[in-house]
Amino acid sequence: MSDGRIFIEPVPTAETEAFWAGTAEGRFLVRRCRSCGKAHWYPRTICPFCSSDETEWVEGTGEGTIYSFSIMRRAKPNYVMAYVTLTEGPTMMTNIVDCDPESLRIGDAVRVTYVKTAEGRALPMFTPKSEASA
Amino acid sequence: MSEKQLSRAMAGVAAIAGVGHSDWIADYAAVRGGTKPHDSFGYGAIAFKRALEDAGIDKSEIDGLVSGPPTAHERMCEVLGIDPRWGVQADAMMGIQAAALAIHGGMCEVVALVYGNDQRSAAVNYGGSNAAGGNAFLSYIYHAPWGFTSQGALYAIMLRRFMHDTGFSERDMAEVAVAQRLHSSLNPHAIMQKRITIEDYLASHYVTEPLHLFDYCLINDGGVAFIMMSAERARRCKKKPAVIHGIGRYDLSREATSLTPRLTNFYRPAQKAVAEQAFGMAGIGPKDVSCMQVYDSFSVHVPLALEGYGYCGYGEAARFIRETGISLERGIPVNTSGGHLSESYMQGWNHQVEAVRQIRGECGPRQVPDCRFVHYSSDVAGKALSIIYGH
Repeated sequence: MSDGRIFIEPVPTAETEAFWAGTAEGRFLVRRCRSCGKAHWYPRTICPFCSSDETEWVEGTGEGTIYSFSIMRRAKPNYVMAYVTLTEGPTMMTNIVDCDPESLRIGDAVRVTYVKTAEGRALPMFTPKSEASA
Repeated sequence: MSEKQLSRAMAGVAAIAGVGHSDWIADYAAVRGGTKPHDSFGYGAIAFKRALEDAGIDKSEIDGLVSGPPTAHERMCEVLGIDPRWGVQADAMMGIQAAALAIHGGMCEVVALVYGNDQRSAAVNYGGSNAAGGNAFLSYIYHAPWGFTSQGALYAIMLRRFMHDTGFSERDMAEVAVAQRLHSSLNPHAIMQKRITIEDYLASHYVTEPLHLFDYCLINDGGVAFIMMSAERARRCKKKPAVIHGIGRYDLSREATSLTPRLTNFYRPAQKAVAEQAFGMAGIGPKDVSCMQVYDSFSVHVPLALEGYGYCGYGEAARFIRETGISLERGIPVNTSGGHLSESYMQGWNHQVEAVRQIRGECGPRQVPDCRFVHYSSDVAGKALSIIYGH
């Protein structure tokens, strides 16, 4: 799954600690504003749309579509950087894994999967729905 | 921004009277050979001395200093040996705007803008968790775990979406690097002077697909300096001044960390506002521009600027490049020095040296005939800025 890649460890902050605790349990949390109803990425306590501090965690669907992507050819092994638009609305930077990079297309439906780092954190990545085993 | 009043107050107020830079080619060779000719301050100081000579003025006339981002402001004053009465640390884009305002406001009369960068010999990394401000802005912290370790990845993702939306092809992208190498082959200051063909480009390896090797800027040491003063005073200097007729800026910082505005809007809302401001102030439009100098950390900046500033419509960059042209051979020449891809990576400073030289008519075989207005455009780190230089 990670093909021997070494990942830069995520740095949880007060705003994102719960997000990373969630991924460790296989939960994909999305931050949403109770005031204006919009979800955003990256997770913040203050809503970037209406400046309300009434934001909350909601269970994300973990599903989205590929907005765009790039195959990192100079890295060995190659990996796929992607910008994925979540069904909740926001678009996030991530990777597409467990896929044939050559067959990926903008607009492909993807679902979240988790890849462990050396320190045991779980990075949310995405895999094409058509090839997903789970 | 369009509902706000556009100011023309800065039109024709300030001018560049002198430019100078270090020996990019010799320093590039020296650094590759394992030596380090200067640190950032030294490169800046060499450029400063040459800019003073170019303007034909004495150091004692300098009473304002803009120092580039990698160098501490006070120490740069110390190295240059000046005690300015106005100063700020700013990049090639914001520095011009700030210096022109300071001159207009009477806070100083003659500003030196000095940039030095030992990025190659110091092995500066423009990617990874410390890129673009790192911890200070949280800029790329969130993206680093996913291997987002280079600026190239951002532009690659942007380019693929742009290609998907508009039909722009890799062959169209190749035209930018090929045109700029044609230009740099006519520029004795350019580090890369060997011409390339479309076939060379297409055969070159991918770094982060769809970006090829030739889509990336150089990384080299060097320094650049400008001398700015009122246009009136500049007209009494040694050489013909490059007068600033228009300046416009608009930032897309609201989603700075998520990178959303850049990846999903291709800078368009910012460029539209900047075009209204800068062209409006200058009283001209894209059709009046003799050549463009576009900040090209990556080649993809060029088609985005052509569309964003109204040289062609959205989605028409490929056709514009093919049918109108962006080289000295036809159309509107873009990056006539070779730009960051082929001349020198001086983070927007060398583009403006070229703008001044084109206005003066100093460019020899790469001179744009009857050069009346030069549009310098910068779209990086979410900030869009344009400066219109003219006579």
